[in-house]
Amino acid sequence: MHPMIKPFTIVMLALASMVGTAGIVTYEAGAVRISVHEKKPGGDHVRLIVPAVLVPLGLHFVPAKQLHKNAAEIRQWLPALKAASQELEHCPDATFVEVKGPDENVGIRKSGDSLVIDVDDPGETVHVSFPLRMVTAAVRQLEAGNPPA
Amino acid sequence: MKQALTVVMGLLLAAATAMAAAPPDRWLHVSVVSADGKGETVHINLPMSLAEKVLPAIHNNDLREGKVRIHGHCDEVDLRAIFDAVRAAPDNEYVTVKNRDEDVRVAKSAGNLLIKVREKHGKTENVEIKVPMPVVEALLSGGADELDVVAGLRALSAQGDIELVSVSDESETVHIWTDTRSSSER
Repeated sequence: MHPMIKPFTIVMLALASMVGTAGIVTYEAGAVRISVHEKKPGGDHVRLIVPAVLVPLGLHFVPAKQLHKNAAEIRQWLPALKAASQELEHCPDATFVEVKGPDENVGIRKSGDSLVIDVDDPGETVHVSFPLRMVTAAVRQLEAGNPPA
Repeated sequence: MKQALTVVMGLLLAAATAMAAAPPDRWLHVSVVSADGKGETVHINLPMSLAEKVLPAIHNNDLREGKVRIHGHCDEVDLRAIFDAVRAAPDNEYVTVKNRDEDVRVAKSAGNLLIKVREKHGKTENVEIKVPMPVVEALLSGGADELDVVAGLRALSAQGDIELVSVSDESETVHIWTDTRSSSER
């Protein structure tokens, strides 16, 4: 065996295991899915799928000034948001809110580990889903960024 | 070995019994059905355990630690004394108001506090509220000027399926009830 092959193999194996671990973590954390479909002729159809693991990480890059701007207002809702997301994780799948009308249909439901929000009105169809664990992680991140005064 | 097996079997049996005895999740439902031609409907289904966990975490205006502050002259009226008197009294209709515009009845019946309002002026509206007495007691378990909503929810969870509020008029019907189903089907 060429003397360079062994270190190269080790490096490649390490990289492969890192990529594999990152893939597993990303898969386990789930994804945030956003879809907006404008109904007007030639309207936009935007689809966005973001690994949920990136959302709490992304909060690191929000300027502290922005986070502290409405700190008091944000902070008062964080415990409720955390309690809700933690409790919802244990809830069975269900539709929590269903509004059906001539102009608009709205649904908020839990499906698996995710919270799903659907809005359908004459102008557009919006679908948002995100893993509940992501909310808990994001709230922890916001709590760290908004310590009590 | 036999002793260890007996312990494991005992633990499994205890766990199975605990799971079997665990009460099913109770759900609070709100249903609004419009009676006009548009046919708008709103259904809200909330696990009561969720409300019990989230409410104490909200600190906003008059809602703190799961308790709602009542404004007014609460110090002049001892709600708990009134409740104790009603609880100890036999089933009866305690308040009856009848006038040109509305009929109001407040009664105690089969362990429930019943409030019925029938508006006659203009459009006809019927409101029926049924609250189990233990729930009223729990609601009044806080300070003199507050309602302990979380204690009320816990007491409500211990009750069976119950229709709490029913409102009907020409434009819509509203129902609020609890059961063990996660959907609004009744």
